[in-house]
Amino acid sequence: MRILALIAFRNLVQARTRTTLLGTAIALVMAMLVLLLSLAGGIEDNLVFSATMLSSGHVTVAGFHKSKPTDAAPLVTEAAALRKVLEANTPGLDYLVERQRGWAKVISPQGTVQSGLSGIDPVAEWRLRDSLHLAAESDYVDGGSDEVRGTLETLGQPGGLMLFANQAKKLHARVGDTITIQTETQGGQTNTIDLQVTAVARDVGLLSTFATFMSDQDVRTLYQLNEDTTGAFWLYLKDIDRSEETMNHLRTVLEKEGYVVMDHVPAPFFFKFDTVSGEDWVGQRIDLTTWEDEVSFLTWILTAFDTLTWMMSVILLAIIAVGIMNALYNAVRERTRELGTLRAIGMTRRQVLALVLLEALLLGLMATGVGAVIGSGVALTLDAMAIDPGLDALRIILLADQLHLVVRPLAVGSAIVLLTLLTGVAALWPAFRAARLKPVTAMQHAE
Amino acid sequence: MPAIVEVRGAVKDYPLGKLKVRALEDVSLSIEKGEFTVIAGPSGSGKTTLLNLIGCVDVPTAGEVIVDGQATSRLSDRQLTKLRLHSIGFIFQSFNLVNVLDVYQNVELPLLLQGKLGAAERHQRVKALIERVGIGEHLHHRPNELSGGQRQRVAIARALVTRPALVLADEPTANLDSVTGASILDLMRELNEAEQTTFLFSTHDHAVMQRARRIVRMLDGKLAES
Repeated sequence: MRILALIAFRNLVQARTRTTLLGTAIALVMAMLVLLLSLAGGIEDNLVFSATMLSSGHVTVAGFHKSKPTDAAPLVTEAAALRKVLEANTPGLDYLVERQRGWAKVISPQGTVQSGLSGIDPVAEWRLRDSLHLAAESDYVDGGSDEVRGTLETLGQPGGLMLFANQAKKLHARVGDTITIQTETQGGQTNTIDLQVTAVARDVGLLSTFATFMSDQDVRTLYQLNEDTTGAFWLYLKDIDRSEETMNHLRTVLEKEGYVVMDHVPAPFFFKFDTVSGEDWVGQRIDLTTWEDEVSFLTWILTAFDTLTWMMSVILLAIIAVGIMNALYNAVRERTRELGTLRAIGMTRRQVLALVLLEALLLGLMATGVGAVIGSGVALTLDAMAIDPGLDALRIILLADQLHLVVRPLAVGSAIVLLTLLTGVAALWPAFRAARLKPVTAMQHAE
Repeated sequence: MPAIVEVRGAVKDYPLGKLKVRALEDVSLSIEKGEFTVIAGPSGSGKTTLLNLIGCVDVPTAGEVIVDGQATSRLSDRQLTKLRLHSIGFIFQSFNLVNVLDVYQNVELPLLLQGKLGAAERHQRVKALIERVGIGEHLHHRPNELSGGQRQRVAIARALVTRPALVLADEPTANLDSVTGASILDLMRELNEAEQTTFLFSTHDHAVMQRARRIVRMLDGKLAES
């Protein structure tokens, strides 16, 4: 095999022009694939980041309480007892927070938006403060300065409100303005509270369009909830990849503890209102979901992007494959005498086949390696530049207000293997042709 | 001496469009071990076809060719390849070296394909043979850096490295000047005498014929003189 690899490698070096042209084409496809995969990785990264900050923990333990069959209040009663069970029985738990949840009309003198409410405990949610960044005033005020105003230090304090830049822009609100929050209770009563904007944070993609942060006490006041009732427990694990496993484990634990646990539906809680309100039961039921379930309505973006990436790659690869096939077919034709000689001196058909395939695989490996380096380099550079995509539609697709690319070694490695193998597949026909050559050809060439 | 090659009533037809061209007709020949024999004849007389049959790169349309005790028409492609690798060495008119390999690697190639020898023994044999054919100083030169005579010496070393029972040479001096051609023939003769390796040539060069111990003459696909 060593000698076959050596002949294959040197044949590639000898046919420099052909090798360079084909190699460049393969390297460019590889670079493009790495770039698109990095973009998909960035979107996924954004999704995980924004989802686990704004929509759920790695595992969310919530539920519905029904005082009559037609109710569907997304609440957990007797929260303190449940919290104890969760803290004692969650393997790999990093930390746990409680979120009060609601849906409200956010009203300023010059505008109104609908938004989800997140009521947080300022002491427990210090990590959230570290994850958020204040927006420059110019991000939400036409003609505003590049300075940031307000503070995240008071996030979650009663009387305060944090908006995201897109909401502040629609409301024409600035730090220090008073905003009215209007909600409707389960009983149909409309409640309002006036809060002061203490901070305007930079957007974190689509989800920040529907998230407003305030004190958990203020949410309780708005919805008239007692101290032992909460919206949801968000569980953060040391390893996010164990979310599903942990959710299943907790399901078993809670059932053993006597809780009534809802069937697992991989959807966010607000998709479940109609189903729950149509069910004929009363009391408390617990619902467990993973972060992926809570943002399942957004995964179409990733699916669409992945599909587009692979479709484009397949089309380009098909073109390249024809090129490889043609080039190797010609190479085999040009080297008929050499291949015939090799057969005459004792090389088997299988070894000739391996020789041509090795040539293609070596070309594929080298070219995809170069392409991977180029693609990764471009991806990392673009990521470091933190480019603003400019269009809101792109911000929605990217789930962020800045271009974010993540080079994942496993994805790049898989792409190298896949493209190299495809190069080998494209070489099969010329390789079989070479293997079928009769050794007598060499003698005829000699005559 | 026992025969290394037996050709019995060999016929070879080649298709030419809808026609069939008979390249060999009823050829019978026996070559004994240790012979240094020339197949002589003008172009188109069938000498290369006969060498192809004996070299197991082709099989007869009719008749029988027996090489090293094996009837070639009854062997599979795999068995023919094995027979070529272990029993036959080839020397071509145009040298047919692998251009991307250097002298050492070209000579080593058949041994690697055989896979019988360890690295040390292989190295020793290859190096000794390259020295023996007089190109020891060109060990790591590629074929395109060598003269025609030097390339043919590499081809001879490659043909002999597996210590085959039979070496076939198709017009080995046709692309060489007369002085170089003579030295190549001297070398082959020397190896024949020293190693008792059987050499079978095709040629139409009288200088080559003069050095042969036996001449087999062919004309129009038939044996004219054996």
